[in-house]
Amino acid sequence: MNPLCTPLEHTFSRRAFLGGGLGMLASPIFAEAMQQRDKQVLFVWLDGGISQLESWDPKPNTEFGGPFRSIKTSVPGIHFCELMPKLAKQMHKLCVVRSMSTKDNAHSSGVDRIQRGDPKNRGVIYPHFGAGVAKLLGPGSSGLPPHVWIKPGSGGFKVEDAGFLGPKYGSLAFGEGKPPENLLRHPEISAERDAARNDLRKMLDQRFASQREKRVVEANTSVFDMAEKLMARADIFDTSKLPERDRERYGRHDFGQHMLVARQMLEAGVRFVKVTSYGWDTHGDNFNAHAGMVPKFDQAFSAMLEDLEASGLLKTTLVICLSEFGRTPRINGHVGRDHWPAAWSIAMAGQGVKHGIVVGETNERGTEVKSEPFDIGAAFHTWYHALGIDPLKTEFDNAGQPLPIAHDDMLPIQEALA
Amino acid sequence: MIKLEPKPITEFPSERQISAVRFSADGTILAAVGYEPAVRRWQFDGKLLTPLPAIGGFNGYTTALAFHPKMSVLFAADSWGLLRAVEGDKTLWQHETAHDGWLRQIAISPDGGRIATCGKDGFVRVWDAGTGKNLAEHQAGEDVYAVTVGAGIVFGDMRGRIEAWTLDLKRKEMSFDGAILYKLDRLQDIGGLRVLLFIDGGKTLLAAGTTPENGATPESIPTILFFDTASGKLTKTVTHGTNKEGYVHDLVPHPSGCLMAVTSGSPGSGMLFLLDPAGKEVFYENKKMANCHSLALHPGGKYAIVTSTNRDSNGNGKTLAKDGTYKTNTSPLHLFEV
Repeated sequence: MNPLCTPLEHTFSRRAFLGGGLGMLASPIFAEAMQQRDKQVLFVWLDGGISQLESWDPKPNTEFGGPFRSIKTSVPGIHFCELMPKLAKQMHKLCVVRSMSTKDNAHSSGVDRIQRGDPKNRGVIYPHFGAGVAKLLGPGSSGLPPHVWIKPGSGGFKVEDAGFLGPKYGSLAFGEGKPPENLLRHPEISAERDAARNDLRKMLDQRFASQREKRVVEANTSVFDMAEKLMARADIFDTSKLPERDRERYGRHDFGQHMLVARQMLEAGVRFVKVTSYGWDTHGDNFNAHAGMVPKFDQAFSAMLEDLEASGLLKTTLVICLSEFGRTPRINGHVGRDHWPAAWSIAMAGQGVKHGIVVGETNERGTEVKSEPFDIGAAFHTWYHALGIDPLKTEFDNAGQPLPIAHDDMLPIQEALA
Repeated sequence: MIKLEPKPITEFPSERQISAVRFSADGTILAAVGYEPAVRRWQFDGKLLTPLPAIGGFNGYTTALAFHPKMSVLFAADSWGLLRAVEGDKTLWQHETAHDGWLRQIAISPDGGRIATCGKDGFVRVWDAGTGKNLAEHQAGEDVYAVTVGAGIVFGDMRGRIEAWTLDLKRKEMSFDGAILYKLDRLQDIGGLRVLLFIDGGKTLLAAGTTPENGATPESIPTILFFDTASGKLTKTVTHGTNKEGYVHDLVPHPSGCLMAVTSGSPGSGMLFLLDPAGKEVFYENKKMANCHSLALHPGGKYAIVTSTNRDSNGNGKTLAKDGTYKTNTSPLHLFEV
């Protein structure tokens, strides 16, 4: 008997959360409720640059193809690298763009350029995608912080991610997927005393705000609001009550456990959840490194797709997976692959994007995009469109200069949009 | 032990990158596996390497090779699991899926009767060298990186777990702790083991590779562990170079008694070094070649071939050759008079 649980079990286990029984799942009211659910985003960032050749765009038996085999996916004619057997079975849920072609081959500048959509230089700092979503769609009905980041290492409030939108839209980072320290009210402070303290704080805030720039004060206030909301939903960080089998399915490694926390946050209604995995910059021993890491990514990412589909959340959640670039076709003397923005891949699923398709094509050697190349600005347009946001109509004012949220010369990747 | 000083004689070009190179028993043929689905061969006359037709029909990368100790039979394998025995251009036998995927190494018994293979599928297998019949197999569990054969068989996995078994793979005889050769860094399992080798007539087992410090762009120190095969105890650890020097990729005993090792560094560029196994002294070092991956000693030990990597092999973005094309890196072959 398979010791691991199935997606079907998740459908039922989440019934309580969805607030109804099996009959309700089939009812028109339930269907309507699902349609009206807030749109959400899961943004998986493989920091350093996963190799497109050892993942989404294998070139077996070619000059730069590497040692691995390709395997069939659930969509006839589409193949993945053998290191992703679980995602291969989920290809019918995915939209893979194999024709990304970006401009920056350095981490120091490239990470920022990709995460901010590499817009034109307007003399301002553009927001991360998560900040844009948080601003334009708001926290949604959950009221939870709209822009969160689950990452290895330390956490904190990352105001720099907000760019020109103002610090309020920065990401709230949870180091190791854990809640901020001292999140819960101290047991010696009663709820009434706590409320009185907060009233006093709000009064002082108002006095403070009268003499300060509005957006700075907003950011300050929003942090307290976020803390209040999180205090009420501290359970979203706790995976200890989940079935043991669930933790196995996602993997015991940090990425797997962080994805499990991300699932809980999406289920609770957090608007935008970013999950980062570090260590993908394989300048040395690339093949052994990918042989170890890609199956762990495959495990957690495919478990997430299964669960989002089983709970119905995939219909309203845009799932995105990318890095700052891909890796060179050429193998260096350290058996590594270096940075390669010229031709690489991203993967998407869920809200607003087609599924079961590959967009674009690289040449046989993997050195060039053979079809129409897409810069990251096009991906940003695609994602905003998928969420129902028109990135060209939405404007922000920078001292009289109207700014669109994404690169104004780019267009969405139409083939990818549902 | 004589302190040798290998003298570089000349360098031969190659078209592709080479990961392992070996001489035939009579020293007339040099064969290489590497980053292509073929085995390259050269005729060697003591001075020149003359290219012979490559052996095709492999997939992915060719990953492992061994010559029969007395005959001209060559055993070669690839990263899709194929294992083949060839003599000249004739295939004697072949298994398309000797392993499920990456076949890591081939070792041949001193009498030439058995070959052992190990793979990413976690299996160790023993084959009849003459017929290709599978004689025994053992599921070691995780990715098995290295294997060697003496009176018994010794194999080691990604985590540095090294075990000695009887040649029929029915009984485990000893364990050796090579855990220093492994590190988990975030999601990355960094397996540092590259070579297992018996010396002193089988009394000492060497496990060579690296002591990993971090993943992704690894910094690590070339390392050779010495184990007493009777007790299983670690008797000596030799590290050479800084944490930029990387892996011992190949380790060969010279008839004079010394050990010859090649390393590939990251971000350093590796070296050839010679070591007295009785002590810890490295008495020869050559850093003029970049990122060395293999060393073949000519029978008798008079000559050696070291494969390196062309200079400036790494670089972000689309670094083009002078003619404007995007080219593969290559592995120059350096002939030494030992």
